[in-house]
Amino acid sequence: MPENDCILGDIRVLDLSEDVAGPFCTKLLAGLGAEVIKVEAPGTGDISRGAGPFIDAAPHGEQSATYLYLNTGKKSITLDLQSQTGAFILQRLAQECDILVESCPAGHLDQLGLGYATLERFNPGLIYTSVTPFGQTGPYRDYKGSELIAQAMGALMHTIGLPDKEPLRIGGNAAGYTTGMSAFSATLLALYVRDAAGHGQHVDVSAMETITVAQIHASIAHQFGRTPTRRASTLAQAQDGWVHAGLERGVREDTWARVCALMGRPELADDPKFNTREARREHQQELLTLISEWTATRPKEEIYHALQGLRTVAGYVATVADLYTSQQLLAREFLQCIDHPDAGTATYPGAPFTIQGTAWHYARAPRLGEHNVEVYCGRLGYTREDLAHLRGAGVI
Amino acid sequence: MTQLALEGLRILDLTQVAVGPYATLLLGFMGAEVIKVESCSRMDISRGAARPTSQGEGLYPGGEPGERPWNRAAHYVHRNGNKRSLTLDLATARGKAFLLQLATMCDVLIENFRASVMDRLGLGYETLSHANPRLIYVKISSQGATGPERDYGSLGSTLEQTAGLASITGYEDGRPLMTNETYPDPVVGILAVGVLMAALRQRRQTGRGTFIDLAQREVTVAMLGEYVVDYSVTGRVPGPLGNRHPHLVPQGVYPCQGDDMWVALSVSSDDEWRGLCRAIGQPNLAQDPKFATVLARRHHQAELDQILAAWTQEREHYQAMHLLQAHGVPAGAVLKGGETLVDPHLTARGFWDVVNHPEAGTYTQVSTPWRLSKSPRRPTIPSPSLGEHNNYVLGDLLGLSQQEIAALETQGIIGTRPIGAEED
Repeated sequence: MPENDCILGDIRVLDLSEDVAGPFCTKLLAGLGAEVIKVEAPGTGDISRGAGPFIDAAPHGEQSATYLYLNTGKKSITLDLQSQTGAFILQRLAQECDILVESCPAGHLDQLGLGYATLERFNPGLIYTSVTPFGQTGPYRDYKGSELIAQAMGALMHTIGLPDKEPLRIGGNAAGYTTGMSAFSATLLALYVRDAAGHGQHVDVSAMETITVAQIHASIAHQFGRTPTRRASTLAQAQDGWVHAGLERGVREDTWARVCALMGRPELADDPKFNTREARREHQQELLTLISEWTATRPKEEIYHALQGLRTVAGYVATVADLYTSQQLLAREFLQCIDHPDAGTATYPGAPFTIQGTAWHYARAPRLGEHNVEVYCGRLGYTREDLAHLRGAGVI
Repeated sequence: MTQLALEGLRILDLTQVAVGPYATLLLGFMGAEVIKVESCSRMDISRGAARPTSQGEGLYPGGEPGERPWNRAAHYVHRNGNKRSLTLDLATARGKAFLLQLATMCDVLIENFRASVMDRLGLGYETLSHANPRLIYVKISSQGATGPERDYGSLGSTLEQTAGLASITGYEDGRPLMTNETYPDPVVGILAVGVLMAALRQRRQTGRGTFIDLAQREVTVAMLGEYVVDYSVTGRVPGPLGNRHPHLVPQGVYPCQGDDMWVALSVSSDDEWRGLCRAIGQPNLAQDPKFATVLARRHHQAELDQILAAWTQEREHYQAMHLLQAHGVPAGAVLKGGETLVDPHLTARGFWDVVNHPEAGTYTQVSTPWRLSKSPRRPTIPSPSLGEHNNYVLGDLLGLSQQEIAALETQGIIGTRPIGAEED
């Protein structure tokens, strides 16, 4: 057994990735116990250090919530990969690693002598995961991407939003996180192969393809004759926010009558406009008006629990503040407090899954270059004087 | 060298609708043998009704439900390639016994019922793991296997709400909106593959199987991590930003030639801003102090949007994308589902499979969001018809004779037609 009953306790990861997708992948690997050494550019570090939201009034590289969240459980070293010395040091580090994750423009690391073909020669067991907007091949491989562009080109956002307005993206960094999950799954598939067969490989993860996989209606519905479009919202206004009655799919037909009784409108139970799922879908806006009359004077969570009690698939729009008071999330101790020397104590979403027999590895995000001495001196045998020299030359 | 990654891995798949079937679709691409278990009284609901009653109910090739609509419903077909189909009535003692026996021959069981369903059937993790201590049990649920809401039912659209994703999705008027893609379903399906690989690694280390608790709500909250962290310190509650971004200015979608066609662009630096000015043939704009910095551009974004829209309106979305990218500006066409099917990049990368489905005809199938250089995915195997592999599973794997299998069919424990199909 590896130390601490950690599934990846024997695995070392070199993390060259930035922003959201790659770092989310390596955050999950760290959660499973891998040692993740994050390689950041001297001075500035991962661009997410500059992304905010900043938990202090002034932007500060150690207080970007995006960085703090995405880099829990990792070590940080600084290294200038553009310099010859930096590239040489990275080659040495890669020889002692099991997994490398990077998010550079396709071909960039090849030019620095740090591509898969080169590193594989030093370390045939290396799993080399590239996470990019469009992948390592194809006509768009050199194109630049963004969160918005991934959602656009993966046919996700064309159907999001209202019919009389422009297509709308999902908020936050949804595509980035999802691409990170693709990279995580793909990397562990490659590790499964390595555990069985011994060899590593190059893993190519593209945000555009991830999002194209994540659109589960648009491309197939188009082919089967119903092109999906942006639709009117079916959320109903509650006293303190928004709810959804959850009566369209996945409910038994006798549920409607019970919902009518709950709303104090028993006469609607037999109304042919609403008494089947298909009828309710057809008269959706009329139904929404009806339901809104009932929901408008009640708190959203009360509505959610009452309608779920009738076996609907009702929901309420939780704000980020509401997540802290959710009895379900509290009961499962999903949110976890983590302390950080610069950022202080904050609450983080915890393990996104549990595997019985393995504890999730919680630790704060590192300060920029916090582990330079440990890694360069402890691992690679450099002296303190060597480090000072490298620092002077701007390599670390 | 080109062996399938998951060759030899056998999965008992009790999932239905979207999230679970998506996970096992992907596992199938990588070489796992997936045995999908349904029953004639309870098919995967994505197969639709046995006899659709109204026009517009369900989605079928050419709008035609056909003789066996349950085998050609769009969403069933699209999410259930790479699988074998077994029918088994789990409400019967013999059905349960066969499932237990099968569990001893499988590496993995995966299900996404409401939390207590398997326990109620007497087929919970305790029982199955007693029968097969090496079994990995993957429980995907909306809320998790524990907690006061464990038995709450959800669709992906419900989870967008309860996990907070809808609260940050919407136009700048602040009203929350849901996606039309039940986003937590595909996302958790993609993640489940890696989680299972981790559990298989644990089994390699310990020799024992395990129980995986995968809550869709929690995975979705994990996609809002930076806001959760920020709120806990500052008390700021984020709302929707439309297509805007706090640091990428301009960012948005702009109208193009054609019906409901748009191009998306994101400018992340002053360098890219200058590229954008060159791309739209207004290099002097780069010198205009109104737009010279991120702060200035944000302040004058409405004016900027008009300038950009005037340029994009004269072009097709792909044309605008290529022109902008040629000047180093991150841009992408806002593709419709149908457009992705013929996108030159996805085509060049071999992303799509054209599938000849025996009952649904020819269609184009999404594949995997990754490619492994030495473990390629296999081509799509068309989704199975209901009970198509009853003989294989019960005969070849469990060793039943043809007479015994025929008797099970007579007793209604197995079958190839759903109950209700013969009513008309």
